[in-house]
Amino acid sequence: MRSDPMIEIENLSIKLGGLPRVDDFSLSVPEGAFHGLLGPNGAGKTTVLRALYRAQKPDSGVVRISGKPLSAWSQAEWMRTVGALVQDGGSLQGLTIRDVVEIGMMNLPLSADERDARIAEALQIAGLTEMAQAEAALVSGGERQKTHIAQILARAPEVYILDEPSNHLDLCYQILLLDEIKRRGKTVIATFHDLTLAARYCDTMTLMRGGRHIVSGTPEDVLTQDNMAEVFRVKGQLENGMMRIVSAIS
Amino acid sequence: MRRQFNLTILATIILVAATLAGVFFGTADVTWADRWAALTGAPDAPRTLSLILWEWRMPRVLVVAIVGASLALAGVMMQTVLHNPLADPYLMGLSSGASAAAVGAILWLPSWVASTLGVPLIAFLGAVGAFVLTLGLSYRRGTMMSPLVVILAGVAVSLMFQSLTAFFLYVGDPHATRTALGWLMGTAAGATWSELWLPLGALCGVTVFALSRAQNLDALLLGDERATALGVPVRGLRVVVFCAVALLAGLSVAVVGIVGFVGLIVPHMARLLVGGRHLALIPFSLILGALVLVVVDLMCRVMLAPEEMPLGVLLAIFAAPPFILILRRVRHAF
Repeated sequence: MRSDPMIEIENLSIKLGGLPRVDDFSLSVPEGAFHGLLGPNGAGKTTVLRALYRAQKPDSGVVRISGKPLSAWSQAEWMRTVGALVQDGGSLQGLTIRDVVEIGMMNLPLSADERDARIAEALQIAGLTEMAQAEAALVSGGERQKTHIAQILARAPEVYILDEPSNHLDLCYQILLLDEIKRRGKTVIATFHDLTLAARYCDTMTLMRGGRHIVSGTPEDVLTQDNMAEVFRVKGQLENGMMRIVSAIS
Repeated sequence: MRRQFNLTILATIILVAATLAGVFFGTADVTWADRWAALTGAPDAPRTLSLILWEWRMPRVLVVAIVGASLALAGVMMQTVLHNPLADPYLMGLSSGASAAAVGAILWLPSWVASTLGVPLIAFLGAVGAFVLTLGLSYRRGTMMSPLVVILAGVAVSLMFQSLTAFFLYVGDPHATRTALGWLMGTAAGATWSELWLPLGALCGVTVFALSRAQNLDALLLGDERATALGVPVRGLRVVVFCAVALLAGLSVAVVGIVGFVGLIVPHMARLLVGGRHLALIPFSLILGALVLVVVDLMCRVMLAPEEMPLGVLLAIFAAPPFILILRRVRHAF
């Protein structure tokens, strides 16, 4: 099952404001894998994800999803296949929480009943059923994050691109929502700052620093003392599924 | 959707009633029987009254309705694509460009040039010129045209044309200045049937376009990145919307002068009543925009009769209370 690469990035380079943010970065994520992108601030994680969901044009390199270059996807096909959670806030003017979830389902070939059922299920998983008619612009940051995750759950795509999915969420919903995404068994690429959370969910992960690929592998292979010192400048490592951090290296 | 549909039907009925009121009421003192006879074209209708109703009031009310609907639609689209609740159709310097061109034409051009081209065409060209300048300042290859950059470019272009207008007014002939000031405050007096068709055609075309892109406009409310992640061609949509807004607002300015507030307030009022989804918001805003301007124009005509007030004066009074209410409701969101 996990043989064909679903996400392929080859020699990706992106400059922003003249500075290289992603530098000759390559990565392959097989179908059905949960892959984490980790690194300190400015490592280029979000920029890689932005290239994946087509918000950032690469200066060089190739990005493919399901074997197809990104430019070859039609809007309808893209909507069915790729769901992205991004770090960006729109005005949400006049939209209810339910509206936000439903907007994410445009172009999906579903009957009204199927659509309603999916929306209801996603809202229920995210604990938003009671707030479905609340104005999305007026709810808290955590509730808004849950709303956007519910939107992706309702779309049920083949590929999940998640930029900091645990942002603003309380512990319970970090676990509930990531458990649900993991349970679906689809391809996921996600950035994390919480390394314990990353180790809990990721089958494989990549460490980045200064826009470059440092190392890829299982959490045990990647979150070692040497890698933690080189990439995050801390003393510590993964022990029994938990990150044990001793101190920062000054 | 049922609630939104019912509200749209209700607003349409009120609009039809307001339009009839706009045609029936005015400064002429006549009986209801004569008014009805003139409207229905009865052979015994007083000829002067028929002329007033059909050649003066009817085109005026219809022009006002079209302008109200156009500015409301343009306001909805601008607030959506710029993610900004304070955006209005004139934000890209359109009103300032039109003002400078029109005031310049009224005060400085030889009368034969102004009368050959017509102030409306000159104002439209001014609006388009300012729009092209703003678009040129905001455009950068490979980006999604940041709303902030567009807004700042619009402010810069507006300031430039505003100072030009102020200069024209300051050094212009005082008599002609009064005419120019009247134009600046907006009036539909003297509207004719021939002025109606171009704005109507543009409104129909842009409405069809906006409704066909309703889902993509909905997605833009989630932000540029989220819309892009949903497969929406953000930059392309934004540029087409800007052009559509320039067309609607430019033509509106050309036929009635500067009419503020409608494009800012009506979208907010409509969102409060039918929500933010564009498939419901666009039709309702069109009706509400037309309704607001038809009612305000009627008040402008009858309140100080036989004198007439400029649209801009009453609109500001009419628009401030709902805007304060909306502000009180949404201030926590920003």
